[in-house]
Amino acid sequence: MTGKRSDAAELTSHLTDRLVDAVSNDAEVSRRAVLGGIGVAGAGAVGLSGRSRADDTPHDEASHGGFGPVGEFDSTDFDPHEFLREFNTGFDGADDLPQRVYERDGERVREFELYASLKTIEIAPGVEFPAWTYQGQVPGPTLRATEGDIIRVKFQNRQSHPHTIHPHVKNVAPEMDGVPQNGPGVVEQGEEFVYEWRAQPAGCHLYHCHSMPLKEHVHRGLYGAIIVDPDPERVARNPRDYVNYQGPIPDSYREDLVERAELRNHEYRADEVDEQVMVMNGFDTNFDGDNEVYAANTRAFAYGVGDTDPTEGEWEAGDTIRPIQVQRDQPVRVYLINTIEFDPINSFHTHSQFFDYYDHGTTLQPTHKTVDTVMQCQAQRGIVELDYSDHEPGLYMFHAHQSEFAELGWMSFFEVQA
Amino acid sequence: MTDGEPTDHGVSDAGGIIDEETTAEELTDGGTATEPGTDLPLGIPRWVGALVPLLLLALVVGGFVLFPPFAGVQSGEPLPELSVSHVTLPNDETIVLHVTNSGAEPVTVSQVLVDDAYWNFRMTAGGEETRTLAPMQSGTITIPYHWTPGWDLETAIVLDSGATFHTDIEAPQPSPGVTGDVLWTLAVVGVFVGVIPVVLGMLWFPFMQGLSDRWLHAVLVFAAGVLAFLAFDAGFEAFEIAEGVPGAFEGPLLVVTAIFGAALLVQAVSAWQTRRTSPDGADGGDHAGPTPLALAYLVALGIGLHNLAEGLAIGSSFALGRVSLGAFLVIGFMIHNVTEGPAVVAPVARGERPSLAHFAALGVLAGGPVILGGWIGGYAFSPTLGALFLALGVGAIAQVNWEIAGMVRRSGRLGTATNLVAFLAGLVVMYATDLLVTL
Repeated sequence: MTGKRSDAAELTSHLTDRLVDAVSNDAEVSRRAVLGGIGVAGAGAVGLSGRSRADDTPHDEASHGGFGPVGEFDSTDFDPHEFLREFNTGFDGADDLPQRVYERDGERVREFELYASLKTIEIAPGVEFPAWTYQGQVPGPTLRATEGDIIRVKFQNRQSHPHTIHPHVKNVAPEMDGVPQNGPGVVEQGEEFVYEWRAQPAGCHLYHCHSMPLKEHVHRGLYGAIIVDPDPERVARNPRDYVNYQGPIPDSYREDLVERAELRNHEYRADEVDEQVMVMNGFDTNFDGDNEVYAANTRAFAYGVGDTDPTEGEWEAGDTIRPIQVQRDQPVRVYLINTIEFDPINSFHTHSQFFDYYDHGTTLQPTHKTVDTVMQCQAQRGIVELDYSDHEPGLYMFHAHQSEFAELGWMSFFEVQA
Repeated sequence: MTDGEPTDHGVSDAGGIIDEETTAEELTDGGTATEPGTDLPLGIPRWVGALVPLLLLALVVGGFVLFPPFAGVQSGEPLPELSVSHVTLPNDETIVLHVTNSGAEPVTVSQVLVDDAYWNFRMTAGGEETRTLAPMQSGTITIPYHWTPGWDLETAIVLDSGATFHTDIEAPQPSPGVTGDVLWTLAVVGVFVGVIPVVLGMLWFPFMQGLSDRWLHAVLVFAAGVLAFLAFDAGFEAFEIAEGVPGAFEGPLLVVTAIFGAALLVQAVSAWQTRRTSPDGADGGDHAGPTPLALAYLVALGIGLHNLAEGLAIGSSFALGRVSLGAFLVIGFMIHNVTEGPAVVAPVARGERPSLAHFAALGVLAGGPVILGGWIGGYAFSPTLGALFLALGVGAIAQVNWEIAGMVRRSGRLGTATNLVAFLAGLVVMYATDLLVTL
């Protein structure tokens, strides 16, 4: 069963690539639209579609085990599987995010145009949430730069509440801090402001709105990831900046750090790693100060399985609810960010797997080595590095190890493929 | 008002119209002399006059629907409202929520949480699988959840808008549901709780026949005290249950309407029956009143309605797995209800003894509804129905007490010391025996 499915998945993925390549020159066709179309068509063609068991026929309860959401996501305007690996570098990124890279006074500028807007998003199958968004999506687009670059964000507010962008990077200019007390203060509806921040330090960071009331502006969806890749040349010059280590630094150690920096940097060798962004978030749909939906990247259970037969230990992928497929021989790096509101902490736990964790991603040696659970308070983030090369292919769960969060949507799977 | 002239003009115009109408009224007031068909202006028949306001209302409503004048001042949407009237637990792997859309707009159920976890569910309404309920529509949500008896559950229904409706299930126990065994059990319980005590109580009849007027009145007033206690008991219960009635059905107002409705209906039947049997009293003085036998039937009806509600409570508690029908409870009910027997037969203690068939009928009418109520409650308990039956019982009892008072007054004085103490005794006995019965 597993073999057949992975064959089919491979075929689908191959076809996807070919079609995306074929239409990528055509500016009229959004890559997202193409991928969405393939998702549905491909799954239908190989008979894997969860929806092939028509939604209006009664479910066979005995085969369900009861747990999990009912139905699939209807809205196609956000695909967590696409968001997972979508990095906006200025060179490359989402079609609907205007971005460019240019030199200015000998410095490299990565420029992005972001807007804030009100958008109804689907956070659990059939459950909608009136979100405040950057670029019409939650989480906002992932911005990525190399250490030392300038990140320039032209920000426009298209929503009736005032918003800002507050960066969690080392920003040395108060007016760029994105708080009501500094610089332009809040950006009112229809207004624009251009933020500029130095991409430093290297690591996994975030941005979010800092308007008051802060709780609401964060919880309604105004946050996203900023990833700053280490510059291998700078690492070679200043290795001590990247380790919690006081002893002597022999050349071999320095070279190891430089290689680690190269594997982190999208302009060097980061493409050797399966890089993913997971923003742990939640939604209070009934205003009781408690989240009804938890997720990695907004949609409850989107990285789960479509259907489970607990008495047989079998599962089936759905159209919109399906595991993250990873290759066994390729290391996985998760940029993990916690933006949960109302709960003090969130966590990340892998089944049958231990990982190296780099708190805030600011070091090139793990701050926690060989752990299977880490916790983060709000705005804490880090890098998780996983290696499945000695695992048998198949399904491996990962989730928040607050069982409540897991059962309310923050429960996911890697499908490891040979 | 600065420019008063147009207003004055308007008033004088209106005055003219009123004058005309007054004239017309004076003409019709004569009654028999005028021809009923042609007394409106322009020869319009009178019944058309009765319809005119309705026709105009229909016109205005139609115009309102076609050309809504408030289209520009829409002030948002009404809030969704979903009531969970009750929960049944057919077995320890299933939870069934009985829901009603008591709001003004359709509601769509998107997800269901059990103890803060997303869970599968199936929703049906009117025998069809659906996820949307129209206003006032009811449905059931069946959740395959393996729960532990005695461990509280919390369910939340999540609408498409993210609004949630929570229900706590305290100390869950499997509800046995309705089987032949259950029906038989409820029937036996009904016989013991309802019929037997009432019939036993009626056996005081020969004793009552030999009583003097004074003591017979005391028995009658004692019965009124018993009934008054039952009325308060059922009334409080009705308002309590009404809180569980879906908002759109206006539980408390339903109770009030049913109380008055029952009292007035029984009074109307009684008046009609009195007029029919004793045309002498047709002018309807306080002296008339129903025949003793009719009054006995009215008492039996009032008690029967009360016992129907009692049966509903027993049946639904049983079906919801909420009661252990132990010997103590049944004994409690028997002692509690035995006082209802003399209340039924006291009105016929004077004069000719009615046939035994009448006694049997009175006993069945007063006690039998416990069985019926038990079955209804076991099958399809709904707070709306429960509150309605209880309220009907209250209304019927109120009217019956009115009649008993009239009966006593016709052959003596109501406010004697003996009678007052007897009334108090009725209340106290019921209060004391009520302590034996806790569902």
